[in-house]
Amino acid sequence: MSTTPAPVIAPVAPEESRDGAAPLRADRTSLRPWQVATLVALLGFALFPAYWMVSTALDPRASTRGGSLLPSGLTPRHFSFVLGDGGFGAFLLNSALVAVVTVLISSAVALLAAVAVARFRFPLRRQILVMILVAQMVPLEALVIPLFLQARTLHMLNSLLGLAVVYLAFSLPFAVWQLRGFVAAVPVEVEEAAYVDGCGWGQMFLRVLLPLVAPGLVATSVFSFITAWNEFIFALTFLQDDDKYTVAVGLQKFFGEHTADWGPIMAASTLITVPVVVFFLLVQRNLVSGLAAGAVKG
Amino acid sequence: MGSHRMRTLRPWLLLAPTLALMAVLLAWPLGRVVWLSLQNYGLRELNRGTTNFVGFDNYVSVLTQPYLWTIVLPNTIGFAVVTVVGTVALGTLVALFLATLPVAWRYLASSAVMVAWAVPAITGTYVWVFLFDAADGLVTHALGGLGVIETGSVNWFLERWSFFGIAALNVVHHGFPFVAVTVLAGLLTVPTELYEAAVIDGAGAWRRFWSVTVPVLKPIFAVVTILSTIWDFKVFAQIFLMPGGSGTNREVFNLGVWSYIQSFAQGRYGLGAAIAVLLTLLLLGITVVYLRTLFVEEDL
Amino acid sequence: MRKSMAGMAAGILVVSLASCGDAGGSGGSGGSTDGGGKKLTVWIMEGTNPDASAYFETVTSTFKAKTGADLDVQMVPWSGAKDKFTTAIAGGTTPDVAEVGATWTPEFAEAGAIADLGDKVSAAGLDSDLVGSLKEAGTYDGRLYGMPWYAGVRSMLYNKDVFAKAGITTPPKTWAELTTAVEKIKKTQPKVTPFPVPGSSEFTATPFVWGGGGELATQSGGRWKSGLADPKAVEGITFLTDLALEHGSSTPAAATWTEKDALTAYAKGDVGMVVAGSWTPATLAQDAPEVAKKTGAFVMPGKSGMAPSAVGGSHLSVFETAKDKDLAWQFVQLMTTGDLAKKWGEESNYFSGQKSALDAQLASASDAQKVFATQMTQGGRTVPVTPQWGKVQGKKVIPTMMQSVLSSKADAKTATDQAAKDMDAAFAGN
Repeated sequence: MSTTPAPVIAPVAPEESRDGAAPLRADRTSLRPWQVATLVALLGFALFPAYWMVSTALDPRASTRGGSLLPSGLTPRHFSFVLGDGGFGAFLLNSALVAVVTVLISSAVALLAAVAVARFRFPLRRQILVMILVAQMVPLEALVIPLFLQARTLHMLNSLLGLAVVYLAFSLPFAVWQLRGFVAAVPVEVEEAAYVDGCGWGQMFLRVLLPLVAPGLVATSVFSFITAWNEFIFALTFLQDDDKYTVAVGLQKFFGEHTADWGPIMAASTLITVPVVVFFLLVQRNLVSGLAAGAVKG
Repeated sequence: MGSHRMRTLRPWLLLAPTLALMAVLLAWPLGRVVWLSLQNYGLRELNRGTTNFVGFDNYVSVLTQPYLWTIVLPNTIGFAVVTVVGTVALGTLVALFLATLPVAWRYLASSAVMVAWAVPAITGTYVWVFLFDAADGLVTHALGGLGVIETGSVNWFLERWSFFGIAALNVVHHGFPFVAVTVLAGLLTVPTELYEAAVIDGAGAWRRFWSVTVPVLKPIFAVVTILSTIWDFKVFAQIFLMPGGSGTNREVFNLGVWSYIQSFAQGRYGLGAAIAVLLTLLLLGITVVYLRTLFVEEDL
Repeated sequence: MRKSMAGMAAGILVVSLASCGDAGGSGGSGGSTDGGGKKLTVWIMEGTNPDASAYFETVTSTFKAKTGADLDVQMVPWSGAKDKFTTAIAGGTTPDVAEVGATWTPEFAEAGAIADLGDKVSAAGLDSDLVGSLKEAGTYDGRLYGMPWYAGVRSMLYNKDVFAKAGITTPPKTWAELTTAVEKIKKTQPKVTPFPVPGSSEFTATPFVWGGGGELATQSGGRWKSGLADPKAVEGITFLTDLALEHGSSTPAAATWTEKDALTAYAKGDVGMVVAGSWTPATLAQDAPEVAKKTGAFVMPGKSGMAPSAVGGSHLSVFETAKDKDLAWQFVQLMTTGDLAKKWGEESNYFSGQKSALDAQLASASDAQKVFATQMTQGGRTVPVTPQWGKVQGKKVIPTMMQSVLSSKADAKTATDQAAKDMDAAFAGN
């Protein structure tokens, strides 16, 4: 069995329905009592901080809420403040630009690298894989000053694209490690069939490999997206014009030196969270059920 | 065209963009961190761009401090062990549970789980701090109501154990969705026949998990464990933003927070860099051990 | 801020396009034109003035009219600001002028990052008009590097209802009266926290060090030495922590609180009194109007009479990277004197850094603000003015000391001894 360190394991019979693969699978739509209980507990745990965030954002007296489970009322005031005076609309756009550029380029670049390490045997291959892993180990806080100086040399300061390039460097190592599994899971026979049909390597890559690993790319992009979307310290130090700030920097404007404005902070946090959730929902199908299956269809 | 030469060149061509980016944006800055760590470097040197080499003084100073061995290192390692085990265990349990659900419910539940990941770490940390607020938090009210403690009488942020307990809850909560979704994806690819065969052999659910699921999913567990380890060793914001975590309570520093405080709060960039280098080396050591034990030679 | 920035950028574009053509009409009418075509970059801390965007629009047009130069004002959030300054200093990308927190000024001055403003201040005849404590905080090595801009001071806020129910008719003026007040509140209203002692707040502790005649640190022969372990300082810390631990004035939660948390607790209405900054009544009026209505202020009680309290605030500093330091100084002067200074004070609820502007501000001040003003002018002190104080703060020497006593991990003597050692180590550069 070609075990590979990634979400995708042994090739499974392609025609088989994924839904039939899991243990204890129930082909029912109703839940058993223990499932209901577990589900409630799971959702309670998973969603509580999000609930707290949203309900505080809607609480007219957010700053003095304390420990009460329900907000003291509901108001859109904090949201309109954050989007109006807070200028969060522009931050959201900036972050979206940075995140999308990061996701697109890192997917493309990482895929090429993943194909190299998954499909070719060459000298130094192991060392490179380990090195890619090591690249994730340096604490980012320690890199702030050196990377700032480097970015200045490369004229990448005060530019959203420059920031995206930095995030690219942060998300690449993870993306390569994730993607090599997806690539390895595509049976070599599929590639060989393409060659038999007269394709060159490039055509094979574009027409055969790429569609097959697409779901894997989507799954990997979630991580790149979150990295670029939530990062704070590099965005703060690299961007000099405050109209270029990203959402994570924008969030900090509601913390004064001696004050914290909880209503706007939670409203801004909600606005930061929503696009990520939307992104998840969009890629959900690939992320969960299609994630592995897609790689072997075809 | 020289297909043999192409065959040797192609992997390098494919790797080129990745390697170039990493060399410029990670390797070179990392080299500067090492270079900084050999100097006594303050704001003045930063401003003038002068050097001030002191050899390995910073490393000696860090490594000979009892504070490193009794507080910072145990905090870093202990916290990482607990959170990695917690994240992987919880994530796996959730994945196993999600796999039992009908498709629509599974879709709903995994979406909800992902929300836990989507909430920014900063916000999540503040929420957990609210919940455990000693005077007015939900937890103290609940425990007070049950008569376990007198409401408002215990401040959990003061003690090392409870402080890290809360931080661990936060980190596990934020990290388990990644594991759950990845393992779930793996679970759905395990061929049904393997389970059927196990059932015929009379294996119970527990044995099926260990004899079928775990071996098949071993590579997945290896990856999520390695990545979680790397992330959890470096945890920064979730500690720094908790009450006392930014410096007041010196019992709760980990290597990342310590390095940051030495650098930015105390203007000792050389010392901070040395701590960062040590953290990187520690992670490197652990990862090499992982790779050796988790992967058979040719798997890597 | 966003919209106005976009507008401003558009404005700059129009202006620069206009100046590309031949001597067209726009710009430099009136005033000196020495700044024509130039642009000054300024960093201002976020969150001090809730209406900063409108304020800086006025500043930009006034500055343009005066000098012909354009302003590029960028807001920087407090969180991470030190990192932002540090990286900019390392990269030589600092702005021309920036708001610098008062305790950072000596540090930046020592590093050689900001310029000496002494001669310019004297030449403008502003020397004698600067608020003393803020001027002292901006001085390093005998030279002025930070032009006092705005200031704040901590005094006490109290809940009039709580005091009335406890039968306290006049707010406490001394430590003994403070203890009595705490006990009266404790007796009559067990659910109220009489006086929380936040463990993560440096500036709650310092008035008690000073209030008994102690010092944070003293300088002799150019060397600083901690005064925290001296008997008078220990007495102050013992008094404050005893209030919390022996007299029940505080709550266990407060051991990890910052000033923010203490004020939040006060805003909920079940706290008797709290050490708070002069800018907080305005915040309170917005967040908790009903508590704000029954809030009064009194000056920090000391062992006998008013205790000194720390004056904080911000300077405007000119960075060495500024190409045109005279233009930069014109901006600093515009911001810190006259109408614009007064307006900033009114809008931000901070005190002006110039005596004349401060007087104008106080003419229309509320009762609470007048109490704070008394505190600042008669009982305002600065923390030790040395580049190393930033390191003492970075090390959180005083909060660490407070927290270890409040959590009963150490007694006041042990904790102050340790704090004195930590502080001396920071002074020695370790």
